[in-house]
Amino acid sequence: MLVLKNLQHNEFLEKVNQKSGSNVLNCYQCGKCVSTCPVSGYMEITPRQVMQYIKLAEDEKLFAANSTWYCLTCSSCSARCPREIEIPRVMEAVRHLAIEANILPDSSKIKSIKKFHDIFISMIKRYGKMFELRLMAEFNLRTGQFFKDIALAPKAIGKGKLKFKSEKIKNLKGLKRLFEMNQKLESEIQNTENASKHESK
Amino acid sequence: MKDKKFTYYPGCSAHGTSEEYEHTLNLVCKSLNIKIEEIPDWNCCGATSAHVMTENLALALPMRNLILAERLENSTMVIPCAACYSRMKETKIRLDEDFSLRTKINSTVDDGDYKGNVAVKSFLQYCFEDIGIEDIKEKVVKPLKDLKVACYYGCLLTRPKNIAQFDSPEYPISMDKIIESLGATAVEYPFKTECCGASFSISNTEIVLDLSSRILDVVKDCGADIIAVGCPLCQSNLDMRQKQIEEKMNRDYKIPVVYFTQLMALAFGYPKSELKLKKHMVNVEKVLASF
Repeated sequence: MLVLKNLQHNEFLEKVNQKSGSNVLNCYQCGKCVSTCPVSGYMEITPRQVMQYIKLAEDEKLFAANSTWYCLTCSSCSARCPREIEIPRVMEAVRHLAIEANILPDSSKIKSIKKFHDIFISMIKRYGKMFELRLMAEFNLRTGQFFKDIALAPKAIGKGKLKFKSEKIKNLKGLKRLFEMNQKLESEIQNTENASKHESK
Repeated sequence: MKDKKFTYYPGCSAHGTSEEYEHTLNLVCKSLNIKIEEIPDWNCCGATSAHVMTENLALALPMRNLILAERLENSTMVIPCAACYSRMKETKIRLDEDFSLRTKINSTVDDGDYKGNVAVKSFLQYCFEDIGIEDIKEKVVKPLKDLKVACYYGCLLTRPKNIAQFDSPEYPISMDKIIESLGATAVEYPFKTECCGASFSISNTEIVLDLSSRILDVVKDCGADIIAVGCPLCQSNLDMRQKQIEEKMNRDYKIPVVYFTQLMALAFGYPKSELKLKKHMVNVEKVLASF
């Protein structure tokens, strides 16, 4: 019955197709993506299943799974997909929709992956460039893993791999605006989506 | 070669973890009389976090660099880092294809209007397509005879295939051809484009140790002396974390991991002391002792 209900109108599928530039309906479930994916063994829902869940409008199950967060965007799957679906872009679309809906899988691993990305982006916002040593230090601090890679750091610093000094771009003002405007774009998209949801109710 | 000058986007790691890549890229271009013009005030392309978290920002950050690159009058923008290259190229392709997307994202960038008239290439691609094997061969004064090299491409230099539009997404040969033109032997092995775990290096290290160990296992089995790479993330995962992998998996690899530009510079006659080989964690000098 679930299948029949969701086949009528699948807004989730439409959104994923629109965001990813692929048509998920083209997937015929051969599973080549799963056997190619280097991390499918770590995923709660495999890439092949992700395609099927999208067809069945199972957005909540997908948002709660670790799968899209584990995708490395290596594109091994799409290189072999006989239906030429850009699977990493599909994974990305689902992940972005999950972030918009503010639903994260209940896993400390995913929380720490997300924290890493948050710190990375905040660092670009602050400097315009990446500051590797600070990224590592801040990640360890904010995830409570004070001694992670502690054996590596001195050697890497000694070899001049990790620098103590950060670089900054000159046009930080323009960059600040770029971040603010993009934030505004994201919230505008969310607002129109929420409004259309409201109307359809 | 017509255009002996290119616009250069270093990417953040070029001034940190992959200093030796940029340094030897410069040496190689010096030998070949190619001028490099760095994009003034370039910013981080966002890789990989921006595209994991948000769509628009992941396009806006590279777009600013593309706009700044268009101010310089070169036809090609060259990027050493595979991840920066992939983000920049994907952004370019999507902006060129979709005018309304271009207008939308451009409204967030202060630095001018995007025109789309600069080609984006990885340095590997530039070496293979623009410099060419024959010109590289001509510059070799110290052939790397008997050196068995595993050319490791990783994911993003040739994938996604509709973005990279270069070489094969599964079994590329461009770096192998370059290495062979230096007089070395490029070893055939099946893991040239397997993923090393990339940006999980810090946030999900276990996966990196697992994936990178598979690559090192195969390279070792195929009898390579050294691994050549074209990506700072691959380099640091395979080299900096090699000892951790050995300890965890109970292995003994001791395989040095260098940038293909370091081997080019060596073959072009630069002394080893100028190649920043000491930057690597796994000892490189033993393997290169005879050169």
